[in-house]
Amino acid sequence: MGEAALVERVGGHGPGRPPPAEAEPARPVVRVRGFGKRYRGVPAVDGVDLEIRRGEIHGLIGPDGAGKSSLMKAIAGVLTFEAGSVEVFGVALDSEATCERVKSRLGFMPQGLGLNLYADLSVEENVDFFARLHLVPERALAERKAKLLAMTRLDRFRERPMKHLSGGMKQKLGLACTLIHEPELIVLDEPTTGVDAVSRREFWAILAELLQEKGITALVSTAYMDEAARFERASLLYSGRILAAGEPETIRRLVPGRVVALRSGDPVAAMARLKARFTQVEARGPWLNAFVAGADAAGARAAVSDALAGVPVENLNVMDPDLEDVFVALLQNRNAGGEERPAARAAAGGAPRGGIAIEALELTRDFGSFRAVDHASFRVPQGEIFGLLGANGAGKTTVIKMLTGIIRPSGGSGRVAGVEMRAAAREIKERIGYMSQAFSLYGDLTVLENIHLYAGIYGLGARATRARAEWVTGMAGLSGHEGDAAGSLPMGLRQRLALGCALVHRPQVLFLDEPTSGVDPIGRRRFWDILFALSREEGVAVLVTTHYMSEAEHCDHLALMYAGRIVADATPARMKLEVEAEAGCLLEVASGAPHRAVLALRRAGYAGAALFGTRVHVFSRDADGDLARIPPLLHSAGIEAVSVAPRRLSMEDVFVHRVSALETRDPAAPGGRP
Amino acid sequence: MIRPAASRALRWWRQLQVMTVKELLQVARDTPLMLFFVFAFTVQIVMGGGRPGFELRNALLHVRDADNSAASRELASRFRPPYYVFHGAGGRPDAATRLLDRGDAMVVMDIPEGFERALAQGRPTAVQVQVDTTNSAVGLLAATYAQQIAADYATEIALARAGITAGELQSLPVIREEQRAWFNPNQDNRWFFSVGDMVMMVTLLTILLSTAALAREKERGTVEQLLVSPLSPLQILLPKVLAMTLVVVAGTMVSVFAVLGPVFSMPLQGSLPLFFTITAIYGFTSSGLGLFAATVTRNLSQAGLLAIFLFVPIILFSGIHTPDEGMPGWLHTIVLFNPMAHYIDATYSILLRGAGLDLVWDSVLAMALLGAAVFGFGVWRFRRQFE
Repeated sequence: MGEAALVERVGGHGPGRPPPAEAEPARPVVRVRGFGKRYRGVPAVDGVDLEIRRGEIHGLIGPDGAGKSSLMKAIAGVLTFEAGSVEVFGVALDSEATCERVKSRLGFMPQGLGLNLYADLSVEENVDFFARLHLVPERALAERKAKLLAMTRLDRFRERPMKHLSGGMKQKLGLACTLIHEPELIVLDEPTTGVDAVSRREFWAILAELLQEKGITALVSTAYMDEAARFERASLLYSGRILAAGEPETIRRLVPGRVVALRSGDPVAAMARLKARFTQVEARGPWLNAFVAGADAAGARAAVSDALAGVPVENLNVMDPDLEDVFVALLQNRNAGGEERPAARAAAGGAPRGGIAIEALELTRDFGSFRAVDHASFRVPQGEIFGLLGANGAGKTTVIKMLTGIIRPSGGSGRVAGVEMRAAAREIKERIGYMSQAFSLYGDLTVLENIHLYAGIYGLGARATRARAEWVTGMAGLSGHEGDAAGSLPMGLRQRLALGCALVHRPQVLFLDEPTSGVDPIGRRRFWDILFALSREEGVAVLVTTHYMSEAEHCDHLALMYAGRIVADATPARMKLEVEAEAGCLLEVASGAPHRAVLALRRAGYAGAALFGTRVHVFSRDADGDLARIPPLLHSAGIEAVSVAPRRLSMEDVFVHRVSALETRDPAAPGGRP
Repeated sequence: MIRPAASRALRWWRQLQVMTVKELLQVARDTPLMLFFVFAFTVQIVMGGGRPGFELRNALLHVRDADNSAASRELASRFRPPYYVFHGAGGRPDAATRLLDRGDAMVVMDIPEGFERALAQGRPTAVQVQVDTTNSAVGLLAATYAQQIAADYATEIALARAGITAGELQSLPVIREEQRAWFNPNQDNRWFFSVGDMVMMVTLLTILLSTAALAREKERGTVEQLLVSPLSPLQILLPKVLAMTLVVVAGTMVSVFAVLGPVFSMPLQGSLPLFFTITAIYGFTSSGLGLFAATVTRNLSQAGLLAIFLFVPIILFSGIHTPDEGMPGWLHTIVLFNPMAHYIDATYSILLRGAGLDLVWDSVLAMALLGAAVFGFGVWRFRRQFE
């Protein structure tokens, strides 16, 4: 999300993008018409049309349960369906026999880290197995294996059993195994879910390079909105229907409007005013963002200023909307009015403000010889949203578990509300709330039974229980669902119910471990709204861990964890400034031939040049100079229609920069990444 | 936050209560489990009670009668149903052996030529009886009965030769054996089997249910939520044991009142309240074993496997299939630590023998001690398993 008008996106008047393949082939590789799939009578996908052109990377973007996997499995010929037609390589998949005919020409990688691989086989044995399964001749196998393992940088780990690889490495191996028989089409179901940001970027780079080289067509799904830019064309999928399809830029332009970001001396009042006027308002740390539909920059600025008359406003900036803003707007348009946004306001009687709510002092935890957390120290004042950011396995969850008293630290101490958690007195436990990764609800109990259970555990009386149950159902938007089994609720509701259960006893300190995994963007935004209200209005200190880099922007303060250590501790804005000071600012290069542009830029000494879908990102120490230098440089390489613009750093850029720097310094990191 | 002791105790109880209600609700909502539960305590016991025991029934008899006389036919005809069934006659000697080899006949009897003549002349004679004793208990019975039939027939012939009639038998010095079958006068196998099956179901369900209840919480992460809350390990584990115990006591009530009484006409001699109390104590003990299995394993499938590993020796060395008395001394000592052995002992004593607490107190005490030890270990382990 570019801040301020300095990011006047080039996309608007940028070049039209011809596909990388030279000639536009007449027939698409995949053609889906009116596709429908039901599970036990409940439609999972309903009336979907999809066309994938030869040689493109097509993205299927949508939250969990949108129907991505069903669609992909049907295209891979491993799932029967009820309605519509699926045509792959011009062959209609209407029977077992036709599916078998296309299977040798496509590769499918199912969802889940390394799920298609064999845990006890080594890297090499896995590749060999898939090759022989597809009857690849031994000589071709040796050649391709050497190449694929070199490209995925797995060649150093040939002998290592798959189960001892990191998540990112498993996915790279999965990709190598999918490509070993040189399919013409590959179908990758959420290959980057659960993979840390650095490995994710690496995965995309390898994928782009391999596909480009062999002219392979790819259908790739993702639940991360911010990965949309990776695709040449994409389809937004939501509850079994296509919301929008086309090039990411085209989709972005479907909902015209601007996002206005501002800071206010009275964020609670400003938030309330903005919400009354605009449909999409969210708090990102100290910033409040409002989406002004249909407005240009000046109009958006005027509309927001008007809405906030009388409220102190600082640093008002206008930005282009993200794809996520567009996604939410499309959904809101479709649902016409949509669900009402209940206020998270609690009954009067806030918690004490000020003071340090959470303090980690040199927290250390060893599991055998493995140090999961290494002298982690930080402080969270009352009323702050504090984010603990890091890849899977960086030690975030272990820190939370030590602070909540689930496991004991091997060294150092953690203090919550002024009391040492090692002692974990009951009185302290009554003052903290905790929500674990898995949304710890009892799926077989109803919504009300879950709330009553936790009310009982925290010793609430009958009257208090009734009052809090009412508050939780209101806050979470669960009215009408009181008698439903918690396990049958959609993810977003389940998540808010889990939050409600963690808040039933009005804790002053709230611990949230990966609270938004698998929740759609609307649900995520609503969740953050609630956290904002809790921290600002009730002074609750919130410690939240996440590996969604875009979510980190919501936090007041961040600590970045890497290999058990805290390697950065600052506000999001400050972290970005620091990276800009170290690495320079980020330039986005749009061109007619992005793949060649990357190579040309790398040759010219821009070592960090990386492909993002149709754009190339480059770090520059001398932004003005490079802005002038790059277009002629690419022109001389025969690449046309070049435009270069500065781009604001995202949290993911910050994370990748920091972690890459650490990895080069310390290659033997626990992640085992090569 | 200082509270008076009374209100703290009240709170403790309320927490225990909501947790127990939660466990019961979870079991009740699990429809397949409930169906299995009803099946286990009714249909399973009816079917199991009707199964054949280790008695001689319908043993296939093949006769090679080389004498082919009235006496030889008389002897063969005394091998009657329900113990023996006539399979066939004749054939060459090796053919008869083949019948045994293939399991087509269980008993092969050879009556030699000159059998009747020898008897008539008062000379001793012999018949050959070959028995398949693959199933040693039944084989032994077949051989023993055959011996008795032959002996009875021989006695009759001997007495007839001596000119002694049945009436005169009273004046001879013979020992008559007067038997009294206590506790199961008709020696109805179904009584023994159905009670044993019920005990087995109690064991199976308590171990598996409590293992699953805790392992599932670990797998879904809900247990962490409980650890962070102001509940002690005892308050987390005790409700599971209480709930499972309630469930199996309800199951045994169904069995006793709907199957044992009406279907098998068992007299139910002893005090039923005493039996249900002892069932509750046993439920506590064996759910404790299940919790133990769940605390030393990482996930549901591991815990399930361990539960089965626990379950098999517990059943085998409980005395339900093999009488306690036949075990070697060292095994006897191990059986002392098998709660099911004590429970089955007490159950037979109360339901069939009408024993009171004065006779079964030692079993009850042993179960309670074992239960306290296992449950105590589970509580101790519970906190440490997360380290």
